[in-house]
Amino acid sequence: MQDKNIALYPGCSLETSSSHYLKSLERVFEILEIDYSIMNDWSCCGATSVKSLDMNLNLALNLRNLSVAEQQGIDELIVPCASCYHRLASTEYELLKDKERLEKLSKETGYKYEGKVKVRNILDFFVNVVGIDRISEKVTHPLSEMVVACYYGCLNTRVPKEQTFDTMEYPMSMDNLVKALGAETIDWSYKTECCGASLFLTMGSIWEKLVGKILKDASLREADCVTVSCPMCQTNLDTKQKQVREEYSIEESMPVPFISQLMGLAFGCKPDEVGLDMNFEAMQPMK
Amino acid sequence: METAEISETEPIYRDTSLCYQCAKCSSGCPIAEEMDMYPHQVIHLVSLGLEERVMDTHTIWICANCYACSVKCPNDINITGIMNNLKEKAIERGISPKTPEVYKFHKVFANDVLRRGRAHELRIMGEYNLRNKKPFQNAMLAPKMFFKNKLKILPPKSVKGFRKWVTRLIGRKND
Repeated sequence: MQDKNIALYPGCSLETSSSHYLKSLERVFEILEIDYSIMNDWSCCGATSVKSLDMNLNLALNLRNLSVAEQQGIDELIVPCASCYHRLASTEYELLKDKERLEKLSKETGYKYEGKVKVRNILDFFVNVVGIDRISEKVTHPLSEMVVACYYGCLNTRVPKEQTFDTMEYPMSMDNLVKALGAETIDWSYKTECCGASLFLTMGSIWEKLVGKILKDASLREADCVTVSCPMCQTNLDTKQKQVREEYSIEESMPVPFISQLMGLAFGCKPDEVGLDMNFEAMQPMK
Repeated sequence: METAEISETEPIYRDTSLCYQCAKCSSGCPIAEEMDMYPHQVIHLVSLGLEERVMDTHTIWICANCYACSVKCPNDINITGIMNNLKEKAIERGISPKTPEVYKFHKVFANDVLRRGRAHELRIMGEYNLRNKKPFQNAMLAPKMFFKNKLKILPPKSVKGFRKWVTRLIGRKND
């Protein structure tokens, strides 16, 4: 694995609202002895907004990122944010299957792309590149007695079929990872239901229903926390949770740790070391 | 006829004729109950070349872009992609967005990204509220996030050469 040039594409949110995600990833990568760098010169993927207004511009933004990564000699581009991952992976798929379009866009943008970069979702990276065995080896503080609802959200698996690393309807990669940390995972109905992050600021009433249903199901199935790998999901399920819990009669707090924060705890890190002090809903103290 | 014209120029629409109205898209959509036209009805109208009727709906704007419909479609019609394309076309044709707050948000977000190549979340939240003429909407959100060190007052560093590149690409200057 380490003969490859591995780089992390942080995306906008890992630099600000989800800097605790980046902090936990950096710590976990260090423990797993992964030789990596943070990609230089990356730009925003455009998220849902740019593609809603101008699809061609969205493709251009992501072609720029792919091309820059290729010029930097990056083999594996690890993408933690589900939205960035979805844009990068979908753009790569769209452009590589339609050479004419790629050529036209390359001319317009000045960025060429040969398809040498492997765009990899963070879950795919942990499970299929690092491997469950290597992760289990590093567990010093198993999360026994913790019941975890693994929440994949919508965009982690809903990339073009040829690109996906897990099943779309009922993914298990994160569950397998969490089990390796010593915790129990639950079967539940909202694993891949959208949390409505793109409506967080605009459509409050719809947003609240989406978040409420997810938290309610996790709570009814007696999960201790809902773990995520997407910064949009984390912000969305955590930040205004109290308001939603009141509306949906959910009595207890439902912490929303990043998967890398759980990994950090199982690897023996202190909560602050993996940025858990930045989560709104606090994790219960570890036994 | 409009349908034929669309089929040739927009590969995304080619597949709509394959739709046999099973409505899996609508039953899988997490916000179908909020929509004024269900996803399978959107596809039906588009396949008939009546896309302008769809452009004047809340549906295309409140679609959360989760792709549940697209992955459930037995004929691989990219329904979410079509929803996005319809938004883009509605704006091009001067059809005012039926859910203006969503349009304003996308606009604010996109403009912010085009400024320096990376999003400045605090500015996006503030500017959206101003443009939406609800300056105190989610007023407690920013301080709450700020207190947790989740928002930065200063914008991110500009990506070198980005502004020049993107301005040339879209052929216009952003404020």
